[in-house]
Amino acid sequence: MNALARRAAGLLLSTIVMPLVAVAADVQPTHEFTLDNGLKVIVREDHRAPVVVSQVWYKVGSSYETPGQTGLSHALEHMMFKGSNKLGPGEASRILRDLGAEENAFTSDDYTAYYQVLARDRLGVALELEADRMGSLRLPPEEFSREIEVIKEERRLRVDDQPNSKAMELFSAMAHPASGYHTPTIGWMADLERMKVEELRHWYEAWYVPNNATLVVVGDVTADEVKGLAQRYFGAIPKRATPPAKLPLELAEPGLRQLTVHVRTQLPSLIYGFNVPGLATAKDPRSVHALRLIAALLDGGYSARMATRLERGQELVAGASASYNPFTRGDSLFVLSAVPNTQKKKTLAEVESGVWKLLDELKTTPPTAEELERVRAQVIAGLVYDRDSISSQATTIGQLETVGLSWKLIDKELDELKSVTPADIQSAARTYFTRERLSVAHVLPEEQAHD
Amino acid sequence: MTEHTTPRHTPKGRGVFGALLLSAVCLAGPAHADTTAAKPGANLQSLAELDGKAPSRRNLDIKTWNTAEGAKVLFVEAHELPMFDLRLTFAAGSSQDGNLPGLATLTNAMLNEGVAGKDVGAIAAGFEGLGADFGNGAYRDMAVASLRSLSAKDKREPALKLFAEVVGKPTFPEDALKRIKNQMLAGFEYQKQNPGKLASIELFEKLYGKHPYGHPSDGDARSIPPITLDQLRAFHAKAYAAGNVVIALVGDLSRTEAEAIAAQVSAALPKGPALPKLAQPSEPKPGVNHIDFPSKQTHLMLAQLGIDRADPDYAALSLGNSILGGGAFGTRLMSEVREKRGLTYGVYSVFSPMQVRGPFMINLQTRAELSEGTLKLVQDILRDYLKTGPTQQELDDAKRELAGSFPLSTASNASIVGQLGAIGFYDLPLNFLEDFMQKSQSLTVEQVRAALNKHLAADKMVIVTAGPKVAQQPLPPPTDKPAEQPLGVPEH
Repeated sequence: MNALARRAAGLLLSTIVMPLVAVAADVQPTHEFTLDNGLKVIVREDHRAPVVVSQVWYKVGSSYETPGQTGLSHALEHMMFKGSNKLGPGEASRILRDLGAEENAFTSDDYTAYYQVLARDRLGVALELEADRMGSLRLPPEEFSREIEVIKEERRLRVDDQPNSKAMELFSAMAHPASGYHTPTIGWMADLERMKVEELRHWYEAWYVPNNATLVVVGDVTADEVKGLAQRYFGAIPKRATPPAKLPLELAEPGLRQLTVHVRTQLPSLIYGFNVPGLATAKDPRSVHALRLIAALLDGGYSARMATRLERGQELVAGASASYNPFTRGDSLFVLSAVPNTQKKKTLAEVESGVWKLLDELKTTPPTAEELERVRAQVIAGLVYDRDSISSQATTIGQLETVGLSWKLIDKELDELKSVTPADIQSAARTYFTRERLSVAHVLPEEQAHD
Repeated sequence: MTEHTTPRHTPKGRGVFGALLLSAVCLAGPAHADTTAAKPGANLQSLAELDGKAPSRRNLDIKTWNTAEGAKVLFVEAHELPMFDLRLTFAAGSSQDGNLPGLATLTNAMLNEGVAGKDVGAIAAGFEGLGADFGNGAYRDMAVASLRSLSAKDKREPALKLFAEVVGKPTFPEDALKRIKNQMLAGFEYQKQNPGKLASIELFEKLYGKHPYGHPSDGDARSIPPITLDQLRAFHAKAYAAGNVVIALVGDLSRTEAEAIAAQVSAALPKGPALPKLAQPSEPKPGVNHIDFPSKQTHLMLAQLGIDRADPDYAALSLGNSILGGGAFGTRLMSEVREKRGLTYGVYSVFSPMQVRGPFMINLQTRAELSEGTLKLVQDILRDYLKTGPTQQELDDAKRELAGSFPLSTASNASIVGQLGAIGFYDLPLNFLEDFMQKSQSLTVEQVRAALNKHLAADKMVIVTAGPKVAQQPLPPPTDKPAEQPLGVPEH
């Protein structure tokens, strides 16, 4: 519960020692360099165990896609496992499996990333495989014709047969009228049906170049070691200009948008989303940090306001959450969601007014020092706990770099959150929690469809 | 929304192996690299340069002792990070529910709802104000309560004091019980939209019948409302007793500090012995059971009774299963069903060894109109594998994989504390994993096949399907280019 809440609050996880943190352990050396072909490499040493994680992050995802071509980034991610110059379809996965490695990939609206976790002596294999598919992907048409069927199964499994994911997909499309964040990462089914392997070829050639990628290595390695291997395997891949990538900007105050969707569910639910900036687009970063603290005040644990008041005090909801991701390439969304307590006969309208009460209170009443201190204690501890996982350290670094921020932000984390005053919080609440920025979804069971 | 991560396949980690593998194991295994130029992967320079040695691992020195009240303790010292993990595993899962399905889950969920002088909000504020994470959960065999905290004394001591009260002296407030029951009822409503969940509930019922593993851990909408506070208190008094728990501890603590923590927690618990062990389940009736559901996909689950944790065939079955469908790409199931035919996003098989015989299960989803053909394909793959598999190459590869993944299993405090909990709870010797590793590395094709056939039979599967009734279509032909050639991965 706490760990999840900490993430929901968007509080930047991970590592790096804060000079202010009395409890922190020794600094983990972190090194940064760039190959001649533009590949940026970040190495963090963590010598607790003889293992290493390697991640390659590409600056491309569904927010780069255009209508009619949705799902390209994710489909390309699947096809990256289907062979390159030195490797047949599926072969890299078998090699890694036999080495005892964990591997996978993930696609988001802002990035596509590939990773391997393996014994330290095998790092070279991971890098050689990644370099080979960065430089020479095959994209065989007959593999694509089968893999697109797998992707459709994935869509049915994760979205079409999951009523709440389906509702969230529609909600997200409504909440982002202007930017590419409108697009679902997996792609609309109609676009999957007509996707051509040539489009993937084009997408690959446009974005999969070393100067559009970041290699992050965390584990029992030294910078020199990684530098040698990176140069050896990635060094010869030529640099190439990428298409211009515009930041996904939203309308600041698009106006109130409302959606009622009937899905195959027994329980109604409510989704709220306010159009807000992210760290990359905010004029004043303090407002972003204030929004992060607000997310933590609302839902940073079982003692936070949503759990204390809506779930337990008024018993308005069976569950509720608040989340805000400030680490986006473009503008972001502050999202609240809640399931009414139907056992207590609570309605969506009552839940809405309960949510507004919380939001309005943030505008008028400053949080107590004790509440802020509790949030801070969780941040300080979280910075230590996140160092227990080499993968979460690497992911934090990779994500920050790929959305156009710097991994060095982690260093300033605590300071920046500390600098937020109660007045900043009130001001952010007043600025952003308005109907002009709001999208609302009422997700209802199907049997109410004919009311 | 901010995050739309869609991984390429469901990460299942290292399946059965990863969940168990631990420290202090010497990787025995002959090194006979036999890379040839004809083999795929052979033109990878990095692969050719691997020296063929088993990878090194983080060395763990497990200490174990019993507390005065009879709790078993396992401890690993790790000073690299200023934090520690404490995990209590009680034999207090839903298999102890008796005739009150959901009692164990409800009791576990009520631990942090009240202690003397503190309500649920004060408890939560107490942990969160220290930056400490409290966790809890109940499953079939076990119920868990855990604490992660900074190790500095001013954080550690108050966090432990609160934790000890929460697990040992919960007050079970009545209003909290009502609220949690309502939330569980909402959960039951919610799971009605999930065909996979419905199929899984049905499968356990068909597999175990009236055995204590047969009902879902959460109980159901009829069993939860009548459960009383007295029943919770009685369950806590016997199932959260010091004699019924294993205490796993990892982190920035000295042996003396660890002993003091274990003693403190143990003394806070009710006094009492371990609960009696369960009886073994009886053989289920094979056959197909269908749940009609208006989804796009049909969920397919196939199962049989598998093994308990003490079964001598565990190593052979784990290795055998990893080749059949143990989670990664390249297993027989993944290769035939997904890679060659594009029928599913993921297909997995697993042995879940438990206190008494846990299930062997195969799990997948496919578009409804191909579900019958896909089910038959999966049954044919299993039948063929039991008859002819595995090949020598498959077995060798699986042994390499097992050895190679070993260092990953002790890389974090979180994974170590999980391993300690499992070793302690299932009463495995501290060198169990070393034995397991050696046993695995010495297995022959014949031994693996014999073990698989001793425990599984293709025509004895209990099958549950959940999806719409639609006209069926024939399966598409497989690709004629299986990516299954032997690989040139050197021995390690």
